[in-house]
Amino acid sequence: MNEASLIGLLIATVSFGALLYLAALGELIAEKAGVLNLGVEGMMAIGAVTAFIAGVEFQNPWLALLIAMLSGALLASVHGLFTVGLGAEQVVSGLALTILGLGLAAYLGKDYVGLRPGAELVPVEWGPLSELPWVGPIFFSQAPVVYIALFAGIAASLVLSRTRLGLALRAAGESASSTDSAGHSVLGLRLSAVATGGALAGASGAYLTLSITPQWAEGLTAGRGWIAVALVIFGAWRPGRVGWGALLFGGTLALKTRLQTFGVDFSPIILSMLPYVLTLLILLIISVRARKRPSSAPAALGLAYRREER
Amino acid sequence: MTQPSSLEKKEPLSVELTEVWKRFPGVVANAGVELSIQRGSIHALLGENGAGKSTLMNILAGVYRPDSGQLKLHGRSHQFRNPSDALSAGVGMVHQEFRLIPSFSVAENVVLGSAPSLIKTGQVEQRVAEMAAKFGLQIDPSQPLWQLSMGERQKVEILKVLWRDAQVLILDEPTTVLTPSEVDDLGEILRRMADDGRSIIFISHKLHEIAGICDHATVLRQGKTVANSLPVADTSQDELARLMVGASPTISTQQSAAVIGKPLLELKNLSAQGDRGMNAFSGINFDIKSGEIVGIAGVAGNGQRELADVIAGLRPSISGEIIMDGADITTKSPNHRFQSGLAYIPEDRLGVGLAPRLSITDNAILRVYRHQRKGPFILGQKALSYCADIIERFGVKATDVNGPIAALSGGNLQRLLVGRELDGKPSVVIASQPTRGLDVQGVKAIQELLINQRDSGAAVMMISEDLDELLAISDRLLVMEGGVLRGEFDPRSASRQEVGMAMLSDAQVRATP
Amino acid sequence: MRRIRLRLREHPLPGGQPVAFGIGLAIALFVGTLLLLGAGHDPLKIYSRMFDASLGGPDAWSITLNRAIPLGLAGLAVAVAGSMGLWNIGAEGQIIAGAIAASWVARIGGSWPGLLLILMMLVAAVAGGALLALGPAMARAKLGVNEIITTLMLNEVALRLVQWLIHGPWKDPDSFNFPLAPMLPDQARLPTLFGRAHFGLLIAAAVIIVISVAVRYTAWGYELRIAGSSEATARYSGISLPKKVLAVLVLSGAIAGLAGGVELTGTTDRLTESISNGFGFAGIIVAALALMRPSGVAAVAILFGAVQIGGQSIQTLGVSSSVSTILQAFILFGAIGAGVFSRYAIALEKDALRTTEEVQS
Repeated sequence: MNEASLIGLLIATVSFGALLYLAALGELIAEKAGVLNLGVEGMMAIGAVTAFIAGVEFQNPWLALLIAMLSGALLASVHGLFTVGLGAEQVVSGLALTILGLGLAAYLGKDYVGLRPGAELVPVEWGPLSELPWVGPIFFSQAPVVYIALFAGIAASLVLSRTRLGLALRAAGESASSTDSAGHSVLGLRLSAVATGGALAGASGAYLTLSITPQWAEGLTAGRGWIAVALVIFGAWRPGRVGWGALLFGGTLALKTRLQTFGVDFSPIILSMLPYVLTLLILLIISVRARKRPSSAPAALGLAYRREER
Repeated sequence: MTQPSSLEKKEPLSVELTEVWKRFPGVVANAGVELSIQRGSIHALLGENGAGKSTLMNILAGVYRPDSGQLKLHGRSHQFRNPSDALSAGVGMVHQEFRLIPSFSVAENVVLGSAPSLIKTGQVEQRVAEMAAKFGLQIDPSQPLWQLSMGERQKVEILKVLWRDAQVLILDEPTTVLTPSEVDDLGEILRRMADDGRSIIFISHKLHEIAGICDHATVLRQGKTVANSLPVADTSQDELARLMVGASPTISTQQSAAVIGKPLLELKNLSAQGDRGMNAFSGINFDIKSGEIVGIAGVAGNGQRELADVIAGLRPSISGEIIMDGADITTKSPNHRFQSGLAYIPEDRLGVGLAPRLSITDNAILRVYRHQRKGPFILGQKALSYCADIIERFGVKATDVNGPIAALSGGNLQRLLVGRELDGKPSVVIASQPTRGLDVQGVKAIQELLINQRDSGAAVMMISEDLDELLAISDRLLVMEGGVLRGEFDPRSASRQEVGMAMLSDAQVRATP
Repeated sequence: MRRIRLRLREHPLPGGQPVAFGIGLAIALFVGTLLLLGAGHDPLKIYSRMFDASLGGPDAWSITLNRAIPLGLAGLAVAVAGSMGLWNIGAEGQIIAGAIAASWVARIGGSWPGLLLILMMLVAAVAGGALLALGPAMARAKLGVNEIITTLMLNEVALRLVQWLIHGPWKDPDSFNFPLAPMLPDQARLPTLFGRAHFGLLIAAAVIIVISVAVRYTAWGYELRIAGSSEATARYSGISLPKKVLAVLVLSGAIAGLAGGVELTGTTDRLTESISNGFGFAGIIVAALALMRPSGVAAVAILFGAVQIGGQSIQTLGVSSSVSTILQAFILFGAIGAGVFSRYAIALEKDALRTTEEVQS
């Protein structure tokens, strides 16, 4: 294993980490407000395809990113409408959203398969910082989405812990009736959290087609949406911890394609089980600990709220 | 303490409710209620269950709108459309069921709904701590709520209301979740708030607490004000109790008691915990003999529900024994108890006694399906005829026995449940609030069923909040208060007032039979 | 202030689930028409091709029924857990686990007679699915760990496992380096009934009938439904909940595992990466549309099978098969919406006053 390939691995780790982090942050925000959205995979696919199409049509990567986020938010709002508005089962609606998102993405993208990208988000250079050994290439010449993910993580963390909005949002995920009686609109909080989550998943998808693999093909998201769902649990619903988890899981994604170049005789496929197995372990630990203190999961996660039923 | 009344008159009343009417379908909850509260005083609102206290307070807190009547705060008229309106006018209510979030810190719970848009945790916690200190509430604002006792949680609820600068605080039966020393603390806290110029409305059933804490008392009975702003210092507890329960002598409609036989259910030194980890009841000793109905009187939340659950095997006891027909069943399963002849009519009909999403037939066979089967199969025809039999014998009005049970009315639900429980000719019947919420016919039908059981030799325990009902149908009456038995009465000779006193105070009352 | 809110209807609108399903189908067809028009196709022509290919004759029916087999079994797996209020999101992985276990039997029993081999393969499939569900079942029964996430995670683990097997140890040396397991021995294939429909149809029908009858008519199923309606009522009548949770989730996994085994011996004839083909997720939707009633999954599975087969057939007309995926999602959303509106009415209310139920409290 030489230095160049190790640096290459770390660059890819940060890059995949950011990809997962964006989607996981979105899921975290929705879950913090009490809505489980199992449609991440579908929303990522929609973000990926709309970003690619917009890139080809408008040749502007930023416009493409924006369109991807709007599309993600729009698709997520279907879930919001059904689960928050109509009180439908979140599990069923979320899975249907995945199917819908994957189907729509395939349908919209069928004429764009194999096309050259019209726009790409190219790595940002930070002047002398980018010249630094190790640190430079790993942290200071990444695509802008990486920095956006970092910014989004810090922002989400601050908003959730330090603002009135964040307090209300978390309250909606813990006890809808308490939030309601404190004068906040549970409906509004949850709908906007779900839509925000969709926008972030859309951005994550856009990162795939605008930067990581600047192409569109069906099945491009390859189960990464599910990793994002796992990450939220792995990180115990905390933006910071989810960020570290994203780097860890991103590392397994990055390592997967490089195991052979490192001469390690270990199946990359078995390696890719790691995120899920780790998440299962964490889940068990959480539940054993939960006997002493409340679980870190939002207490009202998955529960519909109708005021009349109180 | 209380200021001389000549001074008070000069200031406008902080709360003035006049001629308040509120009707609900079938009930007049408030029939021209009057309430006047002076600034800086602690005012007790007394009344039996159903006297209209909660309705009145919900009107004052903006939850209900009155049908008619006037509401003035500090001399100005108000009409509240919702609780937020009331809060911004300075009226805050601490409900019996806390609306708190366990994973949040104390400070976060306090400021939820009226937080600054940017929350500086240290600053907010400091402000909450200062406010708490001002009123003598000892609490750490950074502590997560789930670590707090019920008494501390109540302080958080009070802080929530204070944080919004409420001038009028309503506390709905605040002492039910408190230990005696916490009650004393609460009294001091309320006094500080009153000295700060706020008015406190204190809803309670416990007369000795009112004597220790409150300045004035208003008593409601049957939706009307029977005593307005009595000075508590000059009024005896007997007088307050008489005002609450009314002076009407009870006319016992009791049919001649059946032949009383040997004890079928014996409780020996029985204790158990409630949901909140505090003792729900302790040291309960009594027996029920064949052919008698023992009524358990008391205000809700004094351990009666838990007692019924423990006897039925749905809640573990922490000490003591339960003997049924000579056999110790203390650790036996609920099903074993049922098979040995114990019927249980739980308080929560649809949540515990019945399965709401299943059909009427499925619910009817809950106690017999284990026997009505062939191999693994439940005998469908037998289930249907069993259900039809229950429906006919117990007068359940149901159009479709395959339809969901939740579609039945309250009275029919209860007839089905009671019928199902009584069908197996039980030797012991535990009935928890069996007539609550039923119409007149339903109440009569259920009471008659229980009396028939007694006459055929069963031992019946009946928990009710309706004292008149218990006086009418029990053979013996026990009063439960604060998790212990406060007295035993003979319903044929006991006066309503006597029993009421035992229900409402800690004083040990023993009536001689 | 006036606000829009949903108010529970005193009597649900007549028709119930079939009508809701029909409305869902109508909405889906409407959306599909828009999509097809948008792509420059003639919707009528496309729809008639879809119908012909899926329900237009005995052959078409046989193909549709073959598809309905895994959909129905997966739906049944989800519904039997759902009868008790549990969510098995892991049917996708359990199907894979079943197929892997069955393939393993085929590898060691290649010389056994057909009947024995197939029987053992199906038994192994059942065990494989049950084994994958055992972990989440125990975690839920003993520790109270939410089964949604555990079963969901195991889907991905099972998927990686089958990928590893067919890229590695079980790779067919004659597959020109494609990631495929070897073909099953000839005698390990389920016999054909009619057209292309294979014997798995009878297996699936029998299992669906047995489980439906068990849930509806036996004491075991009765206790399941009681627990699904209210846990407190189950305790009240002396039903042991942890045991039931364990049994039901394992049974659910076993049924999904069987789906994998039947799909392997009946349709794919070899272990592939896509052996589960989304059936596990589609099964959740099938079960949801059947309102978690085991007896309802067969009909929904056939309809979903028809939509999927019809969707495949229009690819020859240049229409993306994704149209059928989108249609499936819209059937579900449409049916959920119709279901909600059959139970709730939209009401314009003046303000949020609480109602009479709370007078007593």
